[in-house]
Amino acid sequence: MKQATRDIRILPGFNWVTLAFFLYLYLPLIILVVFSFNASRSATVWEGFSVDWYFKAFANDDIRRAAANSLIIATVSMVASTCIATMAALALARNRRIRRKPVFSGLIMLPLMMPEIVTAVATLTFFAAIGLSLGLGNIIIAHTVFCIPFAYLPIRARLQGMDESLETAAQDLYAGRWDTLRLITLPLLAPGILSGAMLAFIISIDDFIITLMVAEAGSTTLPIYIYSLVRLGITPEINAVSTVLLIISILFVGLSYRIGKKR
Amino acid sequence: MSAAIRAERLRKVYPGSPPVAALKSASLEIADNEFFTLLGPSGCGKTTLLRLVAGFESITGGTLHLFGEDIAHLPPEKRPVNTVFQHYSLFPHMTILDNVAFGLRRLGKPRQEAAGKAQEMLDLVQLRDYGARLPNQLSGGQQQRVALARALAPRPRVLLLDEPLSALDLKLRQSMRLELKRLQRETGITFVFVTHDQDEALAMSDRIAVMSAGEIQQIATPGEIYEYPANRFVAEFIGDANFYQARVEQVRDNGATYLTPFGTRLAGPLVEGAEPGRSVTVFVRPEKVTLTAAATEGNLPGRVRDVIYLGDTTDYRITLEQGGDITVRAENHKDGRPLANPGDDVFVELDPSALRVLKE
Ligand SMILES: Nc1ncnc2c1ncn2[C@@H]1O[C@H](COP(=O)(O)OP(=O)(O)O)[C@@H](O)[C@H]1O
Ligand SMILES: [Mg+2]
Repeated sequence: MKQATRDIRILPGFNWVTLAFFLYLYLPLIILVVFSFNASRSATVWEGFSVDWYFKAFANDDIRRAAANSLIIATVSMVASTCIATMAALALARNRRIRRKPVFSGLIMLPLMMPEIVTAVATLTFFAAIGLSLGLGNIIIAHTVFCIPFAYLPIRARLQGMDESLETAAQDLYAGRWDTLRLITLPLLAPGILSGAMLAFIISIDDFIITLMVAEAGSTTLPIYIYSLVRLGITPEINAVSTVLLIISILFVGLSYRIGKKR
Repeated sequence: MSAAIRAERLRKVYPGSPPVAALKSASLEIADNEFFTLLGPSGCGKTTLLRLVAGFESITGGTLHLFGEDIAHLPPEKRPVNTVFQHYSLFPHMTILDNVAFGLRRLGKPRQEAAGKAQEMLDLVQLRDYGARLPNQLSGGQQQRVALARALAPRPRVLLLDEPLSALDLKLRQSMRLELKRLQRETGITFVFVTHDQDEALAMSDRIAVMSAGEIQQIATPGEIYEYPANRFVAEFIGDANFYQARVEQVRDNGATYLTPFGTRLAGPLVEGAEPGRSVTVFVRPEKVTLTAAATEGNLPGRVRDVIYLGDTTDYRITLEQGGDITVRAENHKDGRPLANPGDDVFVELDPSALRVLKE
């Protein structure tokens, strides 16, 4: 008689649920991408392949302006938040006089858990209260702030895995503190910093709620512009822009992951 | 010529709750060109003392001079002292050559010159062709030698070595001992070597400072430390010893006579507070006692309790008829047989000159 050798760790039905979940997650995205190549105006009925919508989107001045705004905001916020996150991580890890480091570290990461709408309203109120009106500057400041915890996470992780005696060794070999930072600490921290920067970039480029609150006229970003287009009806042009955003995000997340993994 | 290092009542307390007094009051003088060893069990403050000299920790109390100069306020990068770290601490993102050239570059040497000197150092530690590799492409022993080359390259006046051999296996450790000794002779640099391994200390050092619980117990040459340990801790930490209580019989100007528990008399140095009748500790190293079958006058009868085979020698634990134990270490017969077996009745020959009085 044939003995059924079953792995008791395999549970019936679990595979199917998991598969359904993947479909539910990725099918809409796949459809979005596919219809960005549709030849007709319809975003639901397939009528042949074309890349016209991409050209149309790139030719659209409003989209170009929104995309430029998004890129400027994301780039500046990325640089600023990564610098601040690096300094904060080093200060918290290396300064022996700071007590209760976990509390500070927690305070830096708390915004990750805060409801974004609350942060958005708070930022708006705050900017209004101090009368801040710098156009894109307002958005950049807001983005820099909420990108810091995202940039901080991989940098801190990298720093925790770093051997402090390397910095001691550099000092022992006549390197002052700035030489030590430049030649030892930063190069060893670089994967964490790059990884954090890329996370900050994609978090900034797809932010909607906070941007919507603090954006003034003329500083529309891509997500906000897409939202305003959608309200007028979905066209493959939106699909095309969304696809470009999607690709940028995937690229950056992938890179961030690869770099973060590297020793 | 002033001493390479002079520490007076050097003290280090690590803050915290409770604070840790890692170094209580250490005074020592290390001569230029000396191979000086700090020896002691783990946690006794050896690394702390090195870190104070290197400048990685601030001094809590006392003074520290390097070639006559007070260095308490100098940051590590301003001290002509380099360290070989316990876990090497090679820079993982730099090639071996860049690692070795690091100190020279920081001192302002041009790239070419620094690379040339670094290559010389690699030659010196027999790693000529490894310059282009990264640290993780080297074995532990090779990394160890790179760490050595890196610390020696800037020609420090003092080299600090923190248990540099502890991560290596026995054979490598033994060959590195010779190598370190050779490097010290060839470079003429003062070495301060930290170890918890007594064999290492005895084999390499000009002088040894034995430490325990944040205090220096004795500073002397290997021979003096072994033959005339200052106290029971030193006698026990370096080599093995049998301890007994003897009684002061007579006090003279420059010494005293002691009555040993074996009925013999022993002339020895004056122990502090010695007065007739007082009890003092005496000891004898197990290899200075012999095992014999002859019941000659003065030999002590006993019975073998344990036999511990050590390869080249064997330890015999013997219960003496008069009471008490003694351990005898003896070479085996030429054919490898031990001299006695558990339960054998034997005699122990104890030359009075092998017994030493502990001063405290
Ligand atoms: N940074 C530190 N903070 C608090 N205590 C320390 C620190 N470094 C060492 N100690 C303590 O000081 C004592 C001596 O340590 P150390 O000098 O490293 O000893 P050794 O090198 O002889 O093993 C130990 O009890 C150790 O726990
Ligand atoms: Mg140590």
